[in-house]
Amino acid sequence: MTNAMEVLIIEDEMLLAMDIEAMVEDSGHHVLAEAACLKEVEALPDSLRPQLAFVDLHLADNSSGLDVSRLIQQRWPDSLIVFITANVSKIPEDFAGAHGVIAKPFSHAGVVNAINYLAEGIFDPPPTTSQPASFRSSPHLRERWATN
Amino acid sequence: MKQRENWHLTDTLEYEHGRGDPFAAAVRATRMPMVVTDPSQPDNPIVFCNVAFQTLTGYDREEIIGRNCRFLQGPDSDLATIAKVRAAIKSETDVDVDLLNYRKDGTTFWNALYMSPVRDKEGTVRFFFASQMDVTERVEAQEVISQQKELVEREVERRTADLRAALDAKTILLHEVDHRVKNNLTMIGSLLRLQVRSIDDPVMTAKLDSMLERVDALAVVHRQLYQSSDISSFDIGSFAENLTRDVVGASGRTNITVSIDAQPLFIDAADASALGLILNEILTNSIKHAYPDGRSGCLSLTVTNVDDRGIICMCDDGPGIPSIQRTKSIGTSLITRLARQAKAEAIWTSNSPGTCVTITFPKREAAK
Repeated sequence: MTNAMEVLIIEDEMLLAMDIEAMVEDSGHHVLAEAACLKEVEALPDSLRPQLAFVDLHLADNSSGLDVSRLIQQRWPDSLIVFITANVSKIPEDFAGAHGVIAKPFSHAGVVNAINYLAEGIFDPPPTTSQPASFRSSPHLRERWATN
Repeated sequence: MKQRENWHLTDTLEYEHGRGDPFAAAVRATRMPMVVTDPSQPDNPIVFCNVAFQTLTGYDREEIIGRNCRFLQGPDSDLATIAKVRAAIKSETDVDVDLLNYRKDGTTFWNALYMSPVRDKEGTVRFFFASQMDVTERVEAQEVISQQKELVEREVERRTADLRAALDAKTILLHEVDHRVKNNLTMIGSLLRLQVRSIDDPVMTAKLDSMLERVDALAVVHRQLYQSSDISSFDIGSFAENLTRDVVGASGRTNITVSIDAQPLFIDAADASALGLILNEILTNSIKHAYPDGRSGCLSLTVTNVDDRGIICMCDDGPGIPSIQRTKSIGTSLITRLARQAKAEAIWTSNSPGTCVTITFPKREAAK
C-alpha cells in the first residue's frame, strides 16, 4: 500500500482506541487525532484533512456518535465515517449520513480487512476486492461504489 | 302438523266439563305451578291457580284469585323484565323471562315465567295462561359462575401483566449482559493485541497471536449470535465462510487462494463457541503449517449436510503434517476435546498433497 489514509479515531474506551490505532498504523495508515467525546471533536483544528473516521456510538460525557458523525460531515465533508459499535441496531437505516459500520466485538482480521477495503475505495474507487463480512456499508456508499 | 293448530290436539278426546275433564284435572294436579288470568276483567286478574302455584308462593287460593300477578313482585324485581311481560300482554304475544318474585313470607325465588295468550275461534284473546318454575338454583349457580369467571379473568389479567413486566425486565437485563459480554470480549482482544506488540521474542509472539486468534474467533461467534434474529440457533456455514475469508484476507497472504463451497447450516447455539474454535484451529493451523515461509497454495472449504449431520471439510495442498507432530500440538488437542463436547467428530485424511480435516456434527432439529 503506497497510499496512507489520514484517520480520526473517536472512541471513549482508551484500550479500544489504542488497539484501533495500532491496527490502523500497522496497516500503513496514519492516525491524525483521537477524541473521546463530541466536545473533543469540536476542539480539533480545522486544518486537519481526515479521509476516514472510526466513530463509536456511545461516547464519553453522554455524547453520541451520531452527533459526532453530523459534525464531521459538516467540518470535513470528504471524510468517510465508519461506526464501530456493539449497538448496530441503533444506527438509523440511512446511517445518518455515515458510510458504514464495524460491529463489536471486532476481530483483528475483521478490522484489518475493513481498513484495506476502505483504503482501496478511497484511493482507487470502487474497491475491487469483495466487501469483508466484518464491514457493512451504508446504502449510499454501496450505491457510490456499486460495481457491475 | 302446523303450530297454530295445536289446539286441535285436544279435539279427539271425548270429555265432560267439570270433575271428569281430564285437561282440567291435569292442570290441577301437575307439579308445575300454573295460573290463568282474564284480560276482559279490570286489571287482568287471576281466575285460576293450581295447587303447585299455591305451594310455590305460600299463598292460599283465596288470597290469589282476583289479584293481578304483580302481587308476587317486590323491591328487587327487575323493572325491565316486568316491562317486557307487560309489553307481551299488551301485544298479545308469548313471553319467556326469569323474574325475581316474592313469597308470602317475604323470601324470594327466581321464577322462570312462561306466559301465552289463549284465543277463541274468532282469534280474540280470552285468557292468559302462565306457567312458573322455581329456577333459583340455576340462576344462583349462573351468578356464582359468572362471578368466578370475572374473578379468574381479573386474576389472569393481573398475572399476565406481571409476566409481561417480568419479561420486559428480563429482556432489558439480557441486553445489558449481552452488551457487557460484547464490550469485555472487545477489550480482551484489544488488551492481548497491545501486549503482543510489546513483545520482542518471536516464539512468545506466535503463541500470543494464536491466543488472540482464538479470542477473535469467539468474538466473531458472539457477534454473529447476537446479530441473528434467532438466538437459539447458529449458522455455522456462513460463519465458516466469513472466518476463512477474514483470516486469510488479514494474513496478507495474497498467494493463498481460497475456494469456498458453503451453504447455511444451523447448529444449536450452545455448540457455536466449540465448533467456532475448532474451525479457527484448523484454519490457522493450515495457514501456518501448510504454507510456511510464504509458500503459495489453495485452501478449500466445503460445507454440506447429509441426513441429520453437518459436514465441514477444510483441505490444504501443503506438505502435510506428520501425525506425531500433530498429536503434540495444543491445536490438535483443542480440536479433539472440543469436538467431543459438541458431539462432533474430527478426522484427518491425506489430500495428496496436503491434509483434509473433516468435521461432522449434529445439525439442529427443525432448523429455520
